[in-house]
Amino acid sequence: MPIEPCAATPSVDADDRIALFRLLLLQRLFEDRVMALYRQGRVPGSVYTGRGQEGVAAGAGLALGSEDVVAPLNRELACHFARGATPADVFRNFFGKATSPTLGRDGNMHFGAPERGVFPLVSMLGDLVPLVTGAALVFKRRGERRVAMTFLGEGAFSVGDTHEGLNLAAVWQVPAVFVIQANRYSYSTPVSRQMVNTNIAQRIYGGWSIPAERVDGTDALAVLDTVRAAVERARNGNGPQAVEALTVRMHGHAGHDDARYMPSGMREEFAERFDPIERLAARLALDGVDPGAIGRMREAATAEIDAGLAEAETAPAPDPGTLTDGVYAKPPW
Amino acid sequence: LAVTSVGHLQAPGEPAESTTGEITYLEAIRTALQDAMREDDRVFLLGEDIGVFGGAFGVTAGLFEEFGGERVMDTPISEEGFVGAAIGAAWMGERPVVELQFADFITCAFDPIVTVAAKTHWRSAQSIPVTIRCPTGGGVRGGPFHAGSPEGWFVGTAGLKIVCPGSVEDAYGLLREAIDDPDPVLYFEHKRLYRTLRADAPPTGHRTPIGPAAIARAGADATVVTYGSGVSTALEAADAVDADIEIVDLRTIWPLDDDTILASIEKTSRVLVLQEASRSTGAAGVVMSLIARRAFEHLDAPPALHAPPDTPVPFAPELEDAYMPSVDSTILALDELLAY
Repeated sequence: MPIEPCAATPSVDADDRIALFRLLLLQRLFEDRVMALYRQGRVPGSVYTGRGQEGVAAGAGLALGSEDVVAPLNRELACHFARGATPADVFRNFFGKATSPTLGRDGNMHFGAPERGVFPLVSMLGDLVPLVTGAALVFKRRGERRVAMTFLGEGAFSVGDTHEGLNLAAVWQVPAVFVIQANRYSYSTPVSRQMVNTNIAQRIYGGWSIPAERVDGTDALAVLDTVRAAVERARNGNGPQAVEALTVRMHGHAGHDDARYMPSGMREEFAERFDPIERLAARLALDGVDPGAIGRMREAATAEIDAGLAEAETAPAPDPGTLTDGVYAKPPW
Repeated sequence: LAVTSVGHLQAPGEPAESTTGEITYLEAIRTALQDAMREDDRVFLLGEDIGVFGGAFGVTAGLFEEFGGERVMDTPISEEGFVGAAIGAAWMGERPVVELQFADFITCAFDPIVTVAAKTHWRSAQSIPVTIRCPTGGGVRGGPFHAGSPEGWFVGTAGLKIVCPGSVEDAYGLLREAIDDPDPVLYFEHKRLYRTLRADAPPTGHRTPIGPAAIARAGADATVVTYGSGVSTALEAADAVDADIEIVDLRTIWPLDDDTILASIEKTSRVLVLQEASRSTGAAGVVMSLIARRAFEHLDAPPALHAPPDTPVPFAPELEDAYMPSVDSTILALDELLAY
């Protein structure tokens, strides 16, 4: 089957289409590179990727305004790039460098940027749902037209925190937006063994009365359009909103996982027709964007990643003497 | 002691509303909340039944009327959720103060406290100025789920500060300090002290620094290291033994004030660690470790521990009274230490 272009989505303007494509490319090419480095033994710890899910990360990330805040998970690299992280920042975090966003205290996708309103990833599923609800409560209290967003996978819907957080968001009617990366697996466990009703949008609306829409998560334009509308509804005082983006996790849970538990051919067939990068590239071609320009964007993204990697590789390692610095904002001793 | 019915449990003592210049420990907490809210509109409260009802123990009584439901927020029963939300509000620079209805319920909020609040500054330089009030302790016939002293589960957790006021002055001063502090602070307020401790009202704005222990009573013959409800127990016991007892009120049990503990032991050469938490939890472990490592050469007797057995808190009055360290049992423990 040939690649299916993104839907036309004329409401997304030309600049946003190009910005979106750049974010998709950066995530894909960065992750390809970091996975290769991992296999060469050059990355300590683990590597998590969001292959197949870049459209959700990029579309939702681009839907936010600069004053909004977000708590991404580990498959939302493009969201970090949308919020201003550079490939060098992220490589430094993967390498555990002294100048990484976490000063080498945490690795891979576990980082944030307080100055840009990005909360550092917490691994425990569901923790970020009450967290962004609390941030959104502050916006409501202060009368600020800001929105707090987080991402969830299906796995989080088996966690109590998610219920408590969604319930609080709904009871308090705060400007929070929940983006669900429905990628069909939680580590090795398929969604069918995690929940009976796999229509998460329906559960969110039925269970917590939070407006929830389903969108094709491999169509980055549709994600941007849908999430942007949800963000604006939240911003305009219509309470919490949710978007369930349907996609497939095209890698294993992490670099060590070959995902042999997924049905044979599933990912290949998916990639052939629904790869989010190629879907948007095909749409840009239909838009009349010159194929040479698309090629140059791929080259530019590669160059950006090359430069970031070169910078990160030579960054200094953390000094063990600094280990206990910063445990407290105000050390008692 | 007169017994006043409070919520569905009984707390000993007179009604909280005092008519003299003295205030109760409970009033000190309420006044600290009120003063902080009057001075700083970033301060808001959230918890179960704290609004119109005034809280299970009446600590927030009157605050809903003064500050309204936006700043005294009743929450659904969801400790993990509203502690997580308070952390999110703190992330945005507010100064949320959570009331857990009972300290025991902190188990439900363990994850956001240790996973999110405690680790965030160290790995991202993002400050989380949240205060979590935990009505703690026994002597209220609360049984295994309403009378525990769960502070020990958090002692040793990098990034958390844990305070346990044992006096009216510190109940006010530590809470004001906790609310101002840029780090997550667990504030363990003792339910039995709510209406039994009374003292002159501390001046408005009084602060008790987080970190330093206090010498609650100076002495030369033996040291009692204690905190929370142990302070008043130790003071009474010290008056009854035939020796000159020094009492170190830890006030902050994590991080620990090593220097004050060590200086006292260097002076007295004998030490009793007294706590209401069962003996293998609480702050005793870190205190004993400190003594073993750094006070060994100063000791004339093995360091003693007076704490309940390793069981949940029992319900029946006969059982709970036997379980809790009392003035009498503390006198016996001190006599034994002094006789070694």
